[in-house]
Amino acid sequence: MSVQTVPRSFLLNPLLLLLGVGLFLILSRVEQPWFNPDGWPLLAQFLSASLQPDLSAELLMITVDATLVTLAYAVCGTFLSVLLGLVGGLGSSAIWWELVLPGQKGIWLVLRGLLAIPRGIHEIIWGIFFVNLWGLDPLVAVVAIALPFGAITAKVFSEILDETPRQPLLTLIQSGVSPFVAVVYGLLPQAFLNLLSYGFYRFECSLRSAAVLGIIGAGGLGYQILLSLQSLRYNQLWTFFYALLLLNGTVDLLSALLRRRLGCTPRIALPQGKLRSVRPQGPVLLVVSLGLGLLVPFCFWYIHPDVSKLWAPHTGELLAQLGQSAFPPELTMTTLQQLLPLALQTLGMSVLAILVAGVGGVLLSFPAASNFRRFLGMDAPWGWLFLLGVRGVLLLFRTIPAPIWALVFLFVLFPGILPGALALGIHNLGILGRLMAEGIENLDQRPLQALPGASPLVVFSYGVLPATLPGALAYTLYRWEVCMRETVLVGLVGAGGLGRLLSEQLSSFDYRGMTATLSVLILLTFLVDVLSTQVRNQLRYGINTRKSGIIKGGS
Amino acid sequence: MLRLNRSPDRLAKSSEPHLQVQGVTYCYGNTAALTDINLTLYPGERVALIGPSGAGKSTLLKLLNGTLTPTTGTVSVLGVPLADPNPRRRRALQQQIGTVYQQFHLVENLRVIHNVNAGQLGRWPWYQALWSLVWPQGIETARQALARVGLPDKLYSRTDRLSGGEQQRVAIARILVQDPAILLADEPISNLDPARSHEVMTLLTHCGQGKTLIMSLHALEFAQTYCERLVGLREGKIFFDGLVTAITPQQITQLYRLEP
Repeated sequence: MSVQTVPRSFLLNPLLLLLGVGLFLILSRVEQPWFNPDGWPLLAQFLSASLQPDLSAELLMITVDATLVTLAYAVCGTFLSVLLGLVGGLGSSAIWWELVLPGQKGIWLVLRGLLAIPRGIHEIIWGIFFVNLWGLDPLVAVVAIALPFGAITAKVFSEILDETPRQPLLTLIQSGVSPFVAVVYGLLPQAFLNLLSYGFYRFECSLRSAAVLGIIGAGGLGYQILLSLQSLRYNQLWTFFYALLLLNGTVDLLSALLRRRLGCTPRIALPQGKLRSVRPQGPVLLVVSLGLGLLVPFCFWYIHPDVSKLWAPHTGELLAQLGQSAFPPELTMTTLQQLLPLALQTLGMSVLAILVAGVGGVLLSFPAASNFRRFLGMDAPWGWLFLLGVRGVLLLFRTIPAPIWALVFLFVLFPGILPGALALGIHNLGILGRLMAEGIENLDQRPLQALPGASPLVVFSYGVLPATLPGALAYTLYRWEVCMRETVLVGLVGAGGLGRLLSEQLSSFDYRGMTATLSVLILLTFLVDVLSTQVRNQLRYGINTRKSGIIKGGS
Repeated sequence: MLRLNRSPDRLAKSSEPHLQVQGVTYCYGNTAALTDINLTLYPGERVALIGPSGAGKSTLLKLLNGTLTPTTGTVSVLGVPLADPNPRRRRALQQQIGTVYQQFHLVENLRVIHNVNAGQLGRWPWYQALWSLVWPQGIETARQALARVGLPDKLYSRTDRLSGGEQQRVAIARILVQDPAILLADEPISNLDPARSHEVMTLLTHCGQGKTLIMSLHALEFAQTYCERLVGLREGKIFFDGLVTAITPQQITQLYRLEP
């Protein structure tokens, strides 16, 4: 027998090869020197201020108002994006077109592809665009969130609808019910809780975006943080930080609680395309609808966005002007020569960022899962403290907007892709770590019980790790696309890549160059999306060979 | 293929056929699941579709309710071809066909009343259908249908809390409300125990009075007890078609034999 058995190890994964290439790319491009020792005193000053936040009545008033503004942006933005998502989600789902125009295969694919354009542009760029159009109105922040998030929500909703069991729907269709009514009766009730759960998750993302939008002057906590950082008032800065932490922590906690009470599939399981049939416990739905019914009108009232600007004739004129000055994009040889290395840099930045986020996320997710102590038999009271500590760190990581992290890193690092990648990595680590912890908490306990008497280490490596890693990996890969989009953010505050070029073009009113840069960015995002989907499908192969519909989460 | 004489009194009535299958062939890709099927069903007939697994029974039922469209040939319902390109007319025709499934296919996280009402959605305007989810409509009709299947007190129960037998009865109540001229049933009892099977079969044949009933069955004794006509399918072709009394045990054995 000359047949050789080569062990098939996970080390041969294309993902790892990909990361290797990315890492090589970025390390070969790190600027020399990259470390700035002169920044130490400033960093120390910044950190020590964390113990003495400014708690004067005047500043607290400002803080409360800024917190409410940020919350209101997020609520209004989420509300609109879920509305857009419902319409767009049904309109770009395969099942809808099968019902309406049977036999026409391509339509939903084209529509879902079109959604990639608003998705590929980061909220902040939409924000800058709308500021040019409408000035500094709260409407800018709301629409800047609603548009890209609406497209993301539409994509996810369409995937959820397509993954929902469709036999009851088809039964209705067979008995002569019109497609729209049949969808409302036969599909939406089954998909509803998964849609709602995604809505909550989207709200958490909106809240982070609402803070980020502050850096273009849209107001709220992000704006206040940027102002105090630039004027070196670190004590005030930390007051705002703590307010943001409190806001995000409360929302994350409530959202997780509600999703658990509703019995929804944890987000981390979704990239593997498993939709659990769900059943809510108690009157959660009633509480949720009452709460939303009060919160949404209040938020619209609090920021009173000038909605009439949406259809004002002036908007149309400005749009036409902007269009004229931005098209055609400047695609000469010189710009291309400038864009190509920057594009590679940006790609490298995203790879390094997702590497930091993925590895860090996996490492911190285990101590952040509430059931982890049981595996290790740590029932001492300090186990709880440890848990809370790790969760606090994750919360801090994801709450501080990535550009603010970048500014902090720029204390001690020279501008370049390194501080940018670290900032993005840290921010996304906080998000990934939390989602992975949620996944661990929702682990199926039965395989673990099938390992009686095994040492904690064996239970961990044979029971816990194999059950959690595929989901974690798939989600990390998805997150890579988000990192790609977010490179713009850190670029705007001076870290390298296409984002930096974009901010230079923006300040010099070089709209044609900007369109070219944006096109390259969208292309890159698209490329990363395709790559990560490919790898995720390979990961899924063997676990679930059903059609390639993959559920994704947000930014 | 053996064609046996149809019951003479039906021919005497010479009413219009409810269902007519003419020269139907259906292919999944390159494999033919059904070849050259001809079948005529008259009002009030109770027909059992029998045959070994994979003979094409489910495919035939799917062709009859318009889920599938024949590769060649036509299926006509009440004298009108089912493959109408106009969706409105096709839906009106499909309202005349009710289907009961082995797996029930109910919307499990809706209340029973909505699943029963699903039978009359086709007759309601869309705004009434949507409003009914908030404020249930047609309660009396639904209650009567549920009473007929023996579940009068389950109107507002969540469907997934019911047992399998109860769910099948909800599916039958849905058909009662739909009140179609033709009733199809795809293995309606293969998930149920014998006692519940008899219950469901009695219900189906009772509801089916005055309607044309065609069901695929694995349990031969049920087919012989509850139906008057047997259609045997084998390898995508009609093997025999005749009254229960006229089909010989040899033909049944031939139908299910293992070797080709």
